[in-house]
Amino acid sequence: MTSLAFLIPLSILILAGAGVALFWAIDHGQFDDLESAGFVPLVDADPVTADDPPKVDP
Amino acid sequence: MSGCWHCGSPLPAAAPSARVAGVDHAVCCHGCRAVAEWIGDLGLADYYRLRTASATPAPDLGDASRSAAALARPELARHIVRRLVDGRSEAIVLVDGVRCAACCWLIERTLGLVPGVAEVGVNASARRARIVYDERVVSLSAVADALARVGYRALPLDRAALDDARRRETRDAQKRLAVAGFGAMQAMMYASALWFGAFDDAGVVTRDLFRWLTLLVATPVVFYSAGPFFAGAVRLLAARRLGMDVPVALAVALIYAGSVVEVVTGGPDVWFESVSMFVLFLLSGRYLEMRARHRAGELSDALARLTPVFADRVEADGSLVRIGAIELKPGDRVVVADGQAVPADGVLDGETCRIDESWLSGESAPVPKRRDDTVRAGTHVIGAPATVRVTRVGGDTAVAALVALTERAAATRPRLALEGDRAAAALVARVLLLAVLTALGWSLVDPARAFSATVAVLVVACPCAFALAAPAAVTRTLAVLARRGVLVVKPDALEPLATATCVVFDKTGTLTEPRIAIDRTRMLRESDRDEAVAIAAALAQGSRHALARAFALQRSSALPATTERESIAGRGIGGVIDGRRYRLGRADFALPWERAPAELDDAVVLADDDGAIAAFAIDESLRPGARAVVDALARDGVKLAIASGDAKAKVERAAAALGIDTWAARQSPADKLASLGEMRAAGERIVVVGDGVNDAPMLAAADVAVAVGSAADVAQAASDIVVTGSLGTLADARALAQRMLKILRQNRRWALAYNLAAVPLAALGFVPPWLAALGMSASSIAVVLNALRVGASEDVAAPTVAEAELRRAHA
Repeated sequence: MTSLAFLIPLSILILAGAGVALFWAIDHGQFDDLESAGFVPLVDADPVTADDPPKVDP
Repeated sequence: MSGCWHCGSPLPAAAPSARVAGVDHAVCCHGCRAVAEWIGDLGLADYYRLRTASATPAPDLGDASRSAAALARPELARHIVRRLVDGRSEAIVLVDGVRCAACCWLIERTLGLVPGVAEVGVNASARRARIVYDERVVSLSAVADALARVGYRALPLDRAALDDARRRETRDAQKRLAVAGFGAMQAMMYASALWFGAFDDAGVVTRDLFRWLTLLVATPVVFYSAGPFFAGAVRLLAARRLGMDVPVALAVALIYAGSVVEVVTGGPDVWFESVSMFVLFLLSGRYLEMRARHRAGELSDALARLTPVFADRVEADGSLVRIGAIELKPGDRVVVADGQAVPADGVLDGETCRIDESWLSGESAPVPKRRDDTVRAGTHVIGAPATVRVTRVGGDTAVAALVALTERAAATRPRLALEGDRAAAALVARVLLLAVLTALGWSLVDPARAFSATVAVLVVACPCAFALAAPAAVTRTLAVLARRGVLVVKPDALEPLATATCVVFDKTGTLTEPRIAIDRTRMLRESDRDEAVAIAAALAQGSRHALARAFALQRSSALPATTERESIAGRGIGGVIDGRRYRLGRADFALPWERAPAELDDAVVLADDDGAIAAFAIDESLRPGARAVVDALARDGVKLAIASGDAKAKVERAAAALGIDTWAARQSPADKLASLGEMRAAGERIVVVGDGVNDAPMLAAADVAVAVGSAADVAQAASDIVVTGSLGTLADARALAQRMLKILRQNRRWALAYNLAAVPLAALGFVPPWLAALGMSASSIAVVLNALRVGASEDVAAPTVAEAELRRAHA
């Protein structure tokens, strides 16, 4: 039973930490758009770099 | 698949081709070619693999860059650009052309390549982009130009306030949901330890420790997550009404308070886990509802999208300057290009022009205008550019008046409160009375047992099952319907949908779409019919008129090349094919030198210099699913009617084709509203199905308003239900709503029976509080499980929610 005295406060601390982290993420717009984020991992190719934009005749 | 690789439009005969990632693809025009090749050169050709909908046709680059330059005008920039504390700028723009999530990806990658752009966020459902950039390195015009090169237009958005309000609401709801989730999870964990008697032999101290812990985790759930219920209850009571928030708030407050007393006094039982779960369930339902509401959009936002955001103002020296439409003042003169929308109400400053007013009046043919005739904001100029002298702007325009009419109709709609609200409120009043009586009675008989008996009454009779009965069934139905492509914006609409006695359809765009009737086409000269169709389709290529698009859909084979194409003031199209000059349009245009016979009045005539070749009859084809929904509803015994702004003959024909007896033609929005009022006075419960802006007031006044997926933004915002798939799913939705209603009634009867049986026992002191808590949880769980039966027999092939959302994003 003595382990409880240590584990329970620890679980509460972790819970509070998770809550704070989630609030931070929500406040920074991580959950504003739940649709398009799902597409990002479907893409592997890296686009060309900004320093070397290609030239195209419009 | 024969269509432009980029935008899916029909291909001309000598289609240019775009070379992307080493492969040639046919495209419809050089604009699309430039966009596709540029996307390929940026290394973003994956877009074509990821997208789930064709892109919009590439915007005219010259026009787009003039608009981009207008964005940077100080008068406009002050509405959209905000200076951040670190010296960078943040712009929020509406991005035209966003069809699916792949578009967001493409935009974010493209803008990420522009030097000076620090952050880009695109929201697919709201079509908004937030761009953080360094003004010393790059201008907003350059950013907009980069967007135009990949086929999107950046439009100024004077709606930052609305956007902020929505974002705040979303984030708030997410936080409350998160707290309720965490709290309920933890409370449940500690509670199960208590339930299973893990500490029976460890003594009262350990048991009390766990009780204090449950109190600790449940407190934020009650005081933070359940906040909206308390606020709602206070608002309702202040208005002297009893809505669902009142019993919910009372139940939460009483159970929590009772449990706190138990903890402090060392009583036998606590109910923190029940109250946390209860709050979590209710919040989940509300969150789903909020998301559906946000996706359908707001009326005021829809108004902003109806009228163009840019205008070409004629300056004193005769030059044209691209400005934001919000800068327009009465007296300004603006030039509106062919196919573009008029930015403000005004009068025609040229000799003649033709205006497509279809979305405002329902009239499908363009209306000819003369000098000094009134031109409405948001209507489209057909044929040739028109000069308009502005008379009224912004909130004074006809569109704004229409939106105001819609909002007023929505506000005066008889809201059918779910009957459960009143039933639960009455129950709460009785339970409270009973609790008081129990307390009084026991304090006379045996004061020591008064508290536990009172708490038992409150807990056992907790209206949780009652309060959950409706949300559980409704939430489940919403999810099943969304998978089917039916988006329910206002869940209150499900009950009247199930019990409606009358359905009123709009015609154009809802039941029908224009089509060239090939079988009723008359050849006026010895000639090949297919050839005539091909010539007409070639001439119509690229025109924005609805009929011209119908020709484009009819094309049978590769189209002959057309030169010297001209589009004349909305009267028709001329062009040279194989050395012959052809004209396609109204009889008086196609045959200018002779008096056309009267029977050609309604037809589209194709002619060359030797005379008429063919007369195409204009027909309307039924939209997919129209037949199915009409048949299913008629079988169900529902009265059907058509209310249309179109001409009598066309409405009559559509009504006959569908077997609908009741119809009215040439209806203005006010007429439609009036006839709806008459039907309601006759005791009908009315569903209105529409798509046009002119339907919006009628939609707002209906018991249930259904907009089809391609509907105007205003119509969608005024509606309760948006059908994004085939119209036929509306009949399924009704069947599902009826099943939901049946289960809902079952749930209520069960909750009532349980309360009737348990409450007297509790009041008499036969029910220990732990049994009361168990009974309360069991009755709630029974209600939720029963609700899951809605749509349980769904076929597996139904599209998923994600697909439905994507489809919605394209609409």
